[in-house]
Amino acid sequence: MGNLYYNKTAQWIAYAAFFAALAIVPMAIDDDFLLNQLATYGVYGMLALSISLCWGFGGILNLGQGIAFGLGAYGMAMTMQMQTQTESNPIPPIMLNNGLDYLPFLWWPFQNTAVGLIFAVAVPTLFCAVFGGIMFRARVSGPFFAIMTLAMLSAFYTIILDQQAYTGGVNGITPPAPFQFAGIEIEPYSPLAYWTVFFALLTATVIAKLITQSSFGLVTQAIRDDAERVRFLGYGVAGYETMIYTISGLIAAVAGCLWVMLVQYVSPAQLDVGFSISMVIWAAIGGRMSLIGSIIGAFVIQGAQSYLGDAFLSTWLLILGGFFIIIVRFLPNGLASLLEAALGLLATKKKTTTKTPRESNCAEPVPAE
Amino acid sequence: MEFGSVLNALILGVSIASIWLIAALGLTIIYGAAGVINMAHGELIMLGAYSSYMLQHHFGVPYLLCIPASFVIVGLVGLILERGLIQYLYNRPLDTLLATYGVSLVLMQGVRLIFGSDPKYLAVPEVFSTNISLGFASISTFRVIVFAVTALLVLAIWVLFYKTRFGVQVRAVMQNKEMASSFGINANRVYMLTFALGAGLAGVAGSLFGVLNIVLPTMGSSYVVQAFLMVVVGGGSLAGSVVASGVTGELQSVFAFFTNDTFARFLIFVLIVVFLRFRPQGLFAKAGARR
Amino acid sequence: MTGLLEIHHLCKSFDTVKVIDDFSLEVVEGTLCCLVGPNGAGKTTTMDLITGRIKPTSGKIVFASDDITGQSEHEIARAGIGRKFQVPAVLRDLTVRQNLAVAYSRQTNPFWNLLRFRVPGLAQKLDEIATLAGLTHRLNERAGILSHGETQWLEIGMVLMQEPRLMLMDEPIAGMTESEIEKTARIFKELRKSTTLIVVEHDMGFVREIADVVTVMHMGSLLAQGTIREIEADPRVRAVYLGEQEAA
Repeated sequence: MGNLYYNKTAQWIAYAAFFAALAIVPMAIDDDFLLNQLATYGVYGMLALSISLCWGFGGILNLGQGIAFGLGAYGMAMTMQMQTQTESNPIPPIMLNNGLDYLPFLWWPFQNTAVGLIFAVAVPTLFCAVFGGIMFRARVSGPFFAIMTLAMLSAFYTIILDQQAYTGGVNGITPPAPFQFAGIEIEPYSPLAYWTVFFALLTATVIAKLITQSSFGLVTQAIRDDAERVRFLGYGVAGYETMIYTISGLIAAVAGCLWVMLVQYVSPAQLDVGFSISMVIWAAIGGRMSLIGSIIGAFVIQGAQSYLGDAFLSTWLLILGGFFIIIVRFLPNGLASLLEAALGLLATKKKTTTKTPRESNCAEPVPAE
Repeated sequence: MEFGSVLNALILGVSIASIWLIAALGLTIIYGAAGVINMAHGELIMLGAYSSYMLQHHFGVPYLLCIPASFVIVGLVGLILERGLIQYLYNRPLDTLLATYGVSLVLMQGVRLIFGSDPKYLAVPEVFSTNISLGFASISTFRVIVFAVTALLVLAIWVLFYKTRFGVQVRAVMQNKEMASSFGINANRVYMLTFALGAGLAGVAGSLFGVLNIVLPTMGSSYVVQAFLMVVVGGGSLAGSVVASGVTGELQSVFAFFTNDTFARFLIFVLIVVFLRFRPQGLFAKAGARR
Repeated sequence: MTGLLEIHHLCKSFDTVKVIDDFSLEVVEGTLCCLVGPNGAGKTTTMDLITGRIKPTSGKIVFASDDITGQSEHEIARAGIGRKFQVPAVLRDLTVRQNLAVAYSRQTNPFWNLLRFRVPGLAQKLDEIATLAGLTHRLNERAGILSHGETQWLEIGMVLMQEPRLMLMDEPIAGMTESEIEKTARIFKELRKSTTLIVVEHDMGFVREIADVVTVMHMGSLLAQGTIREIEADPRVRAVYLGEQEAA
């Protein structure tokens, strides 16, 4: 019996247990404010999941996930804002305060909820597909690609900040009412909001896990290992890289929509470089090679950060930075790798105690070169 | 369109270029020599500003001496960083990027805890606060100083890398670390010194930027992405960074003249991404094997 | 020319250095062609050019009547050319089993592969190749910890999993023991029934054992071509190559 960590059934059981625990939470907690906060952690979990899929699994470091998250968030905010506009009050205050007395072309799709939601998710996904496609076809990868994502993130931040009349500038958009979906109002401070995020996180995790176990997943791992070798096997590497980057972006875009549903506000801060990189930190500390590890990493870090509050924020960030350095230097696969190592030890202990005879036709294990 | 304001924009462009170049110089050297993406570069700039502030306010050191002093102080910080962390990560470029980001967090928060978040100001000699008039255009004297320092530094670096023995060693290690070592060059020492040099240059930039902008713990973060883009557009070479900064500085000023600062920045970013898509190796890529 | 692979007047220069100089070659289907020559003759560069790793300065490469000049690596691989590298290139972090599974590249479209969890025909082929390569007991080990010889075999196994029409082998027996070399020779000769092979090698004993045709390269162009006997008797070859050859 090999290392339990790699056993697929054991993994699915662990995932099921994790989500079961998350599902019990609203029944155990009465505090709606706390539920809302936990739901935001769920959103961060989705972001960490998306990074883990793209970076840990796919080997593509994306420092600009805030683009997908932010564009999804703005799309949702625009949809929610337009939901509150009526016949007598058709133009959002953002435009009116900036001297515009008509609804800009950019906002038209968001007048309809269904179309707005589709655009909120589709536009960032399309961006990832196009940007990723262009970059990967040009064989831009590794740290270079990471810098490119930072540049694009900065570009988006700058343009959103600048175009005040269209985006609300530095103040962002604050939809005055909760999100309405098919006649149901999803109050941010309610179990319904929590469940919405829960099911989104569950679905995203299951899809991501299935992807890692598919043929596509195998090729993607191979590309992470040695992209050139995989080319010579006949695979169009750029296609695979673009695909995993785009799926990761899709998850982040959905997370963005859910976030605005929960906090009823969006601003350029969602496209801040620091925020995008913190998603990477969550995944790195939790364990980027483990989807569930990354999610837990996000929960723990963001949870600790809220708990410590503003008073200790500087100290906390200092410690976090230091811890991050230690992880990168000594434990690159994060805390999940500690579990992996522990289970590995357990497995070898079991092997020596049961004394299984080795197969006779194999040579003695040869030491690595 | 007034000729004077166009000329002003062009001259301002040269100044912007010199600012971006001096911010990118340290990074060029570090990235060029060792392939290290130092995400803490902005915070090293910030440290330079704070060093100057501290020397000035607590030790009464005149501003002009603060500049070389900042070079030494931040250079030492860079040395410690290289020996303590960077040297273990040379064969892991993505991890270097992330680890240095961690360092940037530590430095920023550390400074915040020590100095507080309130803005600090660097006092400069009276004469620097004046403007120089050139016919219809005018430019602040300090910006001229920045330009002069930048030019001086570029010259000094050029001499160092192409006219000294140390420079030959650095270029040898850049080309092929193993080969250089077999010729008796201590590659580790070369990496250490180049990193310290790069950090020191960031310190100088900081002591200048602290005058142009106010001194805050967050002042450095806006420079990293910008500086990086100059380095990659330039291709990692000194000449590349000079040309890249020159061109983008001018373009920033010209675009800002027609639209506004923020939109100009956006255009520059987009242009850079497009440029790098077609020429990922940058303007003047360094010859020889990358480690 | 009517060979499976035809190279017409291939030239490649790096800056001003002419590495491949008007090289032409025809490889007939079902034969084993050995490519030999001193170091620097351009053998690996020729392989790079055929497989699309580098683009020729001029010249044409035709495979199974299709012009593949300038195509990308994966298109050429899909057309039916498999390659084993000089420095064994396997996927070090993946297990031996995973390496062989990835190499079974029947379906390369990423969209289809998102929906596939079981690959028909893979298990059987994998067992077959693993047995051939002597790696059945190593299937669940990480490829990175294999010995040099085992890594060579893994890579050969991966190329076999690809089921290409043309196999390019760059120094396949480097680091192998006597019995392994014997086994490799047997396998290569067997393969001629279903595949065509081009083998780059320095070991003349091995070449003598397996080659139908021997092509000698020198300074980027064709020096001589023929059976091993003809080559060994050729005075030009003696002068240029065999005289300089290190002990096989």
